[in-house]
Amino acid sequence: MRLNGHGLSADLPRGWEGTISLDRSDEALTLAGMGGSLRPVAHLATFPLPGGRGDFGSGAVELMRTEDVFVALVEYAEEEADTPLFARQGMPRHLDPRRFSNRSLQRGIAGQVGWQVFFTEAGRAFCLYVVLGDGEDVHLLVRKVEQVLTDVRIEPRS
Amino acid sequence: MTVVVVILAIVVVLLAVLVAGLLRSHAEILRQLHDLGAGMGGGATAPGPDPGVPATEVNRPRTDGRVPAPASGVPDGRRAVDIVGTGPRGESLAIRTIEVEHDTVLVFLSTGCTTCSTFWSDLQDPELPAGTRLVIVTRNPDEELPATVLDLAPAGSTVAMSTQAWDDLRVPGSPFVVHVHGPSGRVIGEGTAASWDQVLELFLRAGGDQRLGGGKASADARRERELDRVLLEAGIAPGDPSLYPATEDGGTDPADRSGG
Repeated sequence: MRLNGHGLSADLPRGWEGTISLDRSDEALTLAGMGGSLRPVAHLATFPLPGGRGDFGSGAVELMRTEDVFVALVEYAEEEADTPLFARQGMPRHLDPRRFSNRSLQRGIAGQVGWQVFFTEAGRAFCLYVVLGDGEDVHLLVRKVEQVLTDVRIEPRS
Repeated sequence: MTVVVVILAIVVVLLAVLVAGLLRSHAEILRQLHDLGAGMGGGATAPGPDPGVPATEVNRPRTDGRVPAPASGVPDGRRAVDIVGTGPRGESLAIRTIEVEHDTVLVFLSTGCTTCSTFWSDLQDPELPAGTRLVIVTRNPDEELPATVLDLAPAGSTVAMSTQAWDDLRVPGSPFVVHVHGPSGRVIGEGTAASWDQVLELFLRAGGDQRLGGGKASADARRERELDRVLLEAGIAPGDPSLYPATEDGGTDPADRSGG
């Protein structure tokens, strides 16, 4: 199953689903009204994604089972690319299980662990945010995330 | 002469009415035979269950005749499809329905169809069994206005605009419901009725399937909410003495108040 939109695409392995939407928060709409553009947000998950989610998965991560994982790929303003925060080049496709912790969660839920990284790819600035359903099973769940990240593509802005 | 012509005209009219009645009766018999699964000619039979699914897991297609019936030639228990499309806000969606643990109920709706109008509002509280996901599916944005879909869709619901899904699942019209069994990826029920409540009663709660056991609990909860509403409207709040049986001394029995 292929997901494609706003210069992002992913071939989703068995058990995964996803969405690519535009950030329509008040702040984003205000910036867009001042000449900016709405930024895409991709959500990939191994569980049914509910409607009305936050960019970093609020409303969704609460529904995760221990065997589930959630991935958010959030784009930032184009001028942020290659700035110090986004200095890393390319989205990591291999993740270090030791970096995951409960303190990295945007929304602290017992048992879950998360990790985020900022990077620039194809001239676009992104944050990759990953939540694992079970902090006791990090190695297995990280492999699951890597499986989907392998086939995520980021195209240059047209 | 005039009398004869008039009499003949009356006879012709009566015969025409008789023939029309017979044709209508014939059509009704054919329709009912078709609904029962009888084939027409050549020894052909209606499609049987897909061998991949035990017959006991398949709900027969149902409709009350006022809304679209499943397309002919669609086998019971056929393979479902994942849903790929766009949302009414322009988002790209890839929704997994097969080879997952949860079941999915796909509700195919249109913004223009009269019967669909009650579905849009009833799906605010669909009362599906626990662990069952609801996805509303309309046709593509070039056939449905996304803004109208957004207005009609219940807040927080998942809406996919995907003509491909309509075609893949051979949806005959709207409203139409397809129930996908996640682990097997098979369609275990499809059909429709004039209201969402009828769909629940006739279709999703049919067959005594234990996986749908939440339906009764859900119906009980709905009845309880309705009773609460009626009592509150009558000014009877929780704890009101009139809710409890009177004791011999005219009061209420405290023991009865702690139960339940």
